[in-house]
Amino acid sequence: MKSGPVAVGLGILGVICIVLAVLYAIGALQLFTSGPGNHYKHAILLIVLAVASFVAANFARPKIAS
Amino acid sequence: MNLAQALFMGLLQGATELFPISSLGHAVLVPSLLHWSFKQSDPSFVPFLVLLHLGTASALLVLYRRQWVEIIRGFVTAAIRGEMRTDSERLAMLLLVGTIPAAVLGVYLESRIKALFASPYEAAGFLIANGFLMLGFEALRRRTERRAALTNESRMDQEAHFTSAERISFRAAAVVGACQALAFLPGISRSGVTIGGGLLAGLRHEEAARFSFLLATPVILGAGIVEVPQLFSSGVPIAEYLGAAVLSGLAAYASARFLLRYFRSGRLDPYGWYCIAAGLASLALLHFDL
Repeated sequence: MKSGPVAVGLGILGVICIVLAVLYAIGALQLFTSGPGNHYKHAILLIVLAVASFVAANFARPKIAS
Repeated sequence: MNLAQALFMGLLQGATELFPISSLGHAVLVPSLLHWSFKQSDPSFVPFLVLLHLGTASALLVLYRRQWVEIIRGFVTAAIRGEMRTDSERLAMLLLVGTIPAAVLGVYLESRIKALFASPYEAAGFLIANGFLMLGFEALRRRTERRAALTNESRMDQEAHFTSAERISFRAAAVVGACQALAFLPGISRSGVTIGGGLLAGLRHEEAARFSFLLATPVILGAGIVEVPQLFSSGVPIAEYLGAAVLSGLAAYASARFLLRYFRSGRLDPYGWYCIAAGLASLALLHFDL
């Protein structure tokens, strides 16, 4: 599905994932965790999700015919 | 845990991780049946499991080393280009889509689920359920073969009518990946549910096994790597654990080679029957405290 708005949405989702990853890594976010502290496992997962979002955004981006 | 027990557990983990018979179920059941005092749910057991998983993942990386080079190259190329043109590029994206649900569920649910179902009775019950799942997957595959009028053909010819891992849909890859979460229940096999899911998606048995092993590699490797710092906590007998990890890797490598050959014409049924028998026998042994 090639769509500019979808690509932008996926790009924004990727940025949100990176912000959440940083918050988990520095211990500022405790959502769905076992307790206070740095949650590197959650941070790594969100980095992976961010990469997947950016890849999906690039796939969804309408290509200009060369 | 003494050295002999560590090596035995390494061998058991490596052999059962890739066979569709649940490594976690066996790791919960066997120590209980042998009246060993350690438990998988014990936090001090985590570094040991980390190394065993790294051993298994290393074996899969060695087995598929050329494919992984192609997959990584394909992933980078397709991600930058924003388009898939080759089978390797499509397989790379299928593996990404299949890995995400398992990784999300793993991070957010795994420890909670494992803590809930850590008793050997539950592991034996889920092992029986795993057996019925394997038989169910094969029953559905046989129904597909009957509908396509393949019942009179040889097994190799039957298999030739199904497809390769690169050809399944992205939705099927996501569903197969999410099925891996079932393996957080001790007794339910990760490879079993992913091979079964692959069969339902129309893959040949051998291709379903290959897709299952490729899908398992990042999950097992990732789960191991994020726990690596635990290895450096004091009191961890690293040499014993490394020996067990090497055994685990060797057993996993041999298991994968065997299974890929077996699934050229073999089915999941023998493993299903084994799980039912082993689960029932374990329940009886536990009940009568033998």
